[in-house]
Amino acid sequence: MSDNPLLCGARGERHLLLGNEAIVRGALEAGVHMISCYPGTPSSEVPDTFYHLGGDNRYRIEYSINEKVAMEVAAGAALGGAMSLVTMKHVGLNVAADPLFTSVYTGLPGGMVVLTADDPGCHSSQNEQDNRNYARFAMLPCFEPASAQEAKDMTREAFRLARELQQPVMLRTTTRVSHLRGPVTFDSLPVPQPKIPFTRDPGRFVPVPAVALRRHEALRDIMERARRIAEDSPFNTLHEPQSPTRLGIIVSGVARDYLADALVTGGWEERVRVLELGMSWPLPYERLATFLRSCERVLVLEEGAPLLEQDVRALVQRYGLSTKLEGKNDSLTELAEYSTTLVVRRLAAWLETSCPPLSTRPVNKELPGRPPNLCPGCSHRAVYYAARQVFGDDAVYSSDIGCYTLGLLPPLRTADFLVCMGSSVSAGSGFARASNKQVVAFIGDSTFFHSGMTGLANAVFNKHDILLVILDNGTTAMTGHQPNPGMLQEQLGAGNTHMDIEAIVRAMGVQECVKVHAYNVRSVIKAMDSLKSKTGVRVLIAEEPCVLYARRQLKKTSPQVAEVVQQGPEAMRCLEQLACPAFYREGENLAVDPSLCSGCMVCLQVAPKAFKARKR
Amino acid sequence: MEKAQDKRVRVFFTGVGGQGTLTATTLLARTALDAGLTVLAGEVHGMAQRGGVVESVMLLGGWRSPKLDLGEADVLLGFEPLETLRALPYLRQGGAVFSSSDVLPPLSVSLGKTPYPDMPHIEEETKQVAGQYRFVPCRELGAQAGSVQSGNTVLLSVVCASGILPIGVDALEAAIKRHLPPKLQAVNLKALELGKEWLAR
Repeated sequence: MSDNPLLCGARGERHLLLGNEAIVRGALEAGVHMISCYPGTPSSEVPDTFYHLGGDNRYRIEYSINEKVAMEVAAGAALGGAMSLVTMKHVGLNVAADPLFTSVYTGLPGGMVVLTADDPGCHSSQNEQDNRNYARFAMLPCFEPASAQEAKDMTREAFRLARELQQPVMLRTTTRVSHLRGPVTFDSLPVPQPKIPFTRDPGRFVPVPAVALRRHEALRDIMERARRIAEDSPFNTLHEPQSPTRLGIIVSGVARDYLADALVTGGWEERVRVLELGMSWPLPYERLATFLRSCERVLVLEEGAPLLEQDVRALVQRYGLSTKLEGKNDSLTELAEYSTTLVVRRLAAWLETSCPPLSTRPVNKELPGRPPNLCPGCSHRAVYYAARQVFGDDAVYSSDIGCYTLGLLPPLRTADFLVCMGSSVSAGSGFARASNKQVVAFIGDSTFFHSGMTGLANAVFNKHDILLVILDNGTTAMTGHQPNPGMLQEQLGAGNTHMDIEAIVRAMGVQECVKVHAYNVRSVIKAMDSLKSKTGVRVLIAEEPCVLYARRQLKKTSPQVAEVVQQGPEAMRCLEQLACPAFYREGENLAVDPSLCSGCMVCLQVAPKAFKARKR
Repeated sequence: MEKAQDKRVRVFFTGVGGQGTLTATTLLARTALDAGLTVLAGEVHGMAQRGGVVESVMLLGGWRSPKLDLGEADVLLGFEPLETLRALPYLRQGGAVFSSSDVLPPLSVSLGKTPYPDMPHIEEETKQVAGQYRFVPCRELGAQAGSVQSGNTVLLSVVCASGILPIGVDALEAAIKRHLPPKLQAVNLKALELGKEWLAR
């Protein structure tokens, strides 16, 4: 049994937890049975924590192939009577939208909570979509924690509600909430909830058109029940100042934190009434109407899209209120993240008062930057170097989502466009057909299983013309080395089955499939040269374990490092074309930092005269 | 148990991916929690760890926002001097800076494409904002303690010993004993002593 406080901490204990860890504790306190996920920043620590805790026979966790599958597994588990949790990042919910929109119709008796971790500010994402939209669109209740304690408490409440209503419930965090660390006071950890035995009822669970129409109506009634629950939810709180005021603020999500600090900063706590919405969908509109009636002026604060603002505006209109409403404007927009400073400025203007002095020192943009980069010894660098040698600027490079997207940086420049997870092969297929250009697509092993396989099947079926390079580093590297079917069987253990990428590719009907070791630059170049001269769907599988994964999990390190033995144009060409982060300049000379060098020896192949291997 | 007189302090941490900035942040936050202070920390994971800049915050005394904007930090803890310089705008005028003086050149500097700002310039810029500042030879002291990695503990020890936080060196010592794996404790306790001595010198 784990001695981790998440699994053995008693009621009343207080621990410093990451927001995502607090969600784990909340789910355990609720009595969760089944967790499925596809990893994605900033959601990954939730499933990873469940995975490393092991379960202690309380729950089962799986890394699913993609978010759609994860949600279907969780929905099926909840149909089978289990309390299930499915976790993903915001864009993952786009992938999982299909099962979500229908499972709200059928309902899920066991109870399913959907964690979506949004990323305003695009810390590690391709967009900043606001998934509160999905709560409205698909029709499911939504909780938005703003502290570690709330992350735990709201998770537990989300499960309670999911089971009471037999409906999916959304738990929506943002990067800052998932990745804050705060004290959490534990409640008791009961045994997992009893499972709800499945009762056959095709008139509910098989949404053929006639059923679906009836269930849509039922869903409306269920959401009305949820709305009444929201009216009295302890997560929706009113803060009244000592002396009465007719100025009100309605606030939700992480903006609640910025507001609290902004009120302290400005010394304005006694000037406004605040209605905080932690259970932010469905809206407690009676409570909102009462609040609006008692205010002359109301400011709506929410990070992201102006959803709450639009709904409150509609309420003002519906009830014919004279409340003067303000929300987003040029200074507090729907772009990027809020901050205390931004909210202070907005409040000062809205309160028609002077703004406390705020910093005007700008960040110095001239300083040398530290853009994220492929690690020293990353096998992707070797493959990208080879692709540059073979295709140069003649090919168009279709990229995908993973560490290897970083191939966009010079000097490798092997990413010309990117749509979403799995799009490298399918978008590349479309591009090639439309442009008649040579397209080289890159995809990682986890992304291949996520949604690259369908694109490849389509490419074969529709006779597209594309070279797909599968960068198989044997793990889900970007998000922290989570298991995927491409991982070695001995790494996966008894709970998973390894799947062979080459066998899958060939079974799909790809005739031209070559497998190489990524560090063997000559064989990669040779394979690319040969595949370049052919047409149709061609696949190159470049294998080499992620260098971090090899070091940390496989305990494999090279006994050798590279060193520069001959300065001059060849060494400099290697620096210019490979740009390994282990290289550094000493005046006119090139050197290798042995503490960074992984011993991949790709530089020795690129510039054999300039480098040689030596003992570490 | 929270002290009613909780001092409101906001600390901004900055460093380079792989340095252990987040581990140091968590250790200091745990120290604060153990000391009965109201604490909140915030960090960002993901892309930043691929050799990029890693920023985190620790807030004491009841602040709720897990992110700091420019000019909000009372204390800036820099684990690398260029990153300290870059993060200076986050410090309020008159705040305190404690930074490692050990350079980790970014790739563009290693490759000779851009110059690294020289230390006198970094100190001059720091002086413009900070009421007090110290640049600490963390790597050297860490190596003296037994591992370069424990240089982070040297920096934490210096900031705790300075009295700028409501967290003393004794509280940090207790947290090291409570939260670090046994095999790392001796080195980090030595690093703590060296940091304290360095400041007293």
